[in-house]
Amino acid sequence: MRVLSLLALLALWQLAAAAAGNPSFVPAPRAVWDQLVLLSTTHDGVRGYSGHLLAEHLGISLRRILVGSALGVAAGLVIGVVLGAVPWIRLVAEPVVTFVRALPPLAYFSLLIIWFGIDETPKLWLLAIAALPPVAVATAAAVHGAPTGLVEAARALGASRWNVIRDVVLPSALPEIFTGVRLAVGVAYSSVVAAETVNGVPGIGGMVRDAQRYLQTDVVVLGLLAIGLSGLLIDGLLRAAETRLIPWRGRT
Amino acid sequence: MSSRPDPAAAPAVADEDAAAVRLHEVGHVYDGAGGPVAALGPISLTVPSGTFLVLVGASGCGKSTLLRLVAGFEKPTSGTVLTGGAEPVPGRGAGIVFQQPRLFPWKTVGGNVELALRYAGVPRAERARRVPELLERVGLHDVADRRIWQISGGQQQRVAIARALAGDDPLLLLDEPFAALDALTRERLQEDLRRVSAQTGRTSVFVTHSVEEAVFLGSRVVVLTRRPGRIALDLEVGLPRTGIEPDELRALPEYAALRAEVGHAVRAAAA
Ligand SMILES: Nc1ncnc2c1ncn2[C@@H]1O[C@H](COP(=O)(O)OP(=O)(O)O)[C@@H](O)[C@H]1O
Ligand SMILES: [Mg+2]
Repeated sequence: MRVLSLLALLALWQLAAAAAGNPSFVPAPRAVWDQLVLLSTTHDGVRGYSGHLLAEHLGISLRRILVGSALGVAAGLVIGVVLGAVPWIRLVAEPVVTFVRALPPLAYFSLLIIWFGIDETPKLWLLAIAALPPVAVATAAAVHGAPTGLVEAARALGASRWNVIRDVVLPSALPEIFTGVRLAVGVAYSSVVAAETVNGVPGIGGMVRDAQRYLQTDVVVLGLLAIGLSGLLIDGLLRAAETRLIPWRGRT
Repeated sequence: MSSRPDPAAAPAVADEDAAAVRLHEVGHVYDGAGGPVAALGPISLTVPSGTFLVLVGASGCGKSTLLRLVAGFEKPTSGTVLTGGAEPVPGRGAGIVFQQPRLFPWKTVGGNVELALRYAGVPRAERARRVPELLERVGLHDVADRRIWQISGGQQQRVAIARALAGDDPLLLLDEPFAALDALTRERLQEDLRRVSAQTGRTSVFVTHSVEEAVFLGSRVVVLTRRPGRIALDLEVGLPRTGIEPDELRALPEYAALRAEVGHAVRAAAA
């Protein structure tokens, strides 16, 4: 079934390319495939694209996404727990989180470049800032809505405040936190192209941007495919981790 | 953890035994959405150590409220509540079993009991030994490694009882713990609780709306009126606590007489 729908998609693509009649507008699947081979090898003394293989561009971007989301998720967790547990802080800080969440990453990237230069630092900041709000919001909601019955049961057993947070509030929030993490990684993914608009090569976003400048549409499409497919893979991994880590999901 | 932390707080009743519960003119009013709701009292009641007190009353008469006051989850809006001579604090001196098991699904069956022991300050090595012991005590074997959703509702409530016993608190509070179970399971758990309670001899306050359950379990039965609940009947139960089979007990003529008396009081109080 999956293979069939994939073939159908390819056929549609081929048709669209034929109809457009202009490879700079819609490149044919074949052209993208050739680029894949070209960018994965050294040819005529040129290594991949701009001196880096496709896998290297992708690997560097994935590393940025990983580090950026990890920082964002960690900060989002801490902020979320505080927001969920302390009502007056929630009142003050929640609009700030919502504000940041509404900003397009490109908008604050300029500021980050002024502050941190054009190397890795502003890129990681951008991804972390993009990944933080979904985790903070999900964690805050889950912590705030911790099941009173279970909290009371723990208190009846002599649990301290910290015990209650560690043994009841956080585990009960874990399913929602995980959903937040998946969202966060998704946001970091879609922000990587923005993060690599300045000095982004090597990096898959930088590669796509350069290719766009030179109207290498087949490279652009290849880059998009690489980002999308690796995103699917990462989400699959996160889902698998989720079922392993949260066997009680949906059973309470 | 089971000892009262601050004996100086209760000089007037310093000689009182650690398990006793005292309610003096206790009333409780909730701030309901549609105005204040008088839920309980005023009620005065003394429960000496070793008593198995059963509170019976119609639904909504304030039974849970009374138990939450004794547990320290609520402060009475009037009167005083003392356990062991001091104001009750949740997690100190009383084990609680709720109507729903309230087990932690992220822990195994054994893990739930282990956590209770940890909160009670039991060292790790001893916890490993006591978990199976506590589970055996409530009639559970070989379930320590199961997940909560892999055992039946009756078994879950047994785990909840084991967890409440873990702290070795002088007081045990139970709020309609068997109400959600099927009749057969309920009867078996009642029999086991009666046995465990006779063995440990700890002071218990058990809330129910079932007359049968009250007479079977209680060494003393208190019937509450409709909301706000007050005492309609306070009865010492003279039935034997040990050395008798449940069926023999139920067949005693005194048992039938008590059941009739309590049943009559409950109906009169609810009218
Ligand atoms: N938190 C609350 N806020 C307002 N009213 C409450 C609250 N808890 C209980 N009540 C009311 O107090 C009365 C007694 O409740 P409860 O003690 O739970 O009765 P019981 O356990 O005997 O069924 C009921 O009318 C109930 O609706
Ligand atoms: Mg109740």
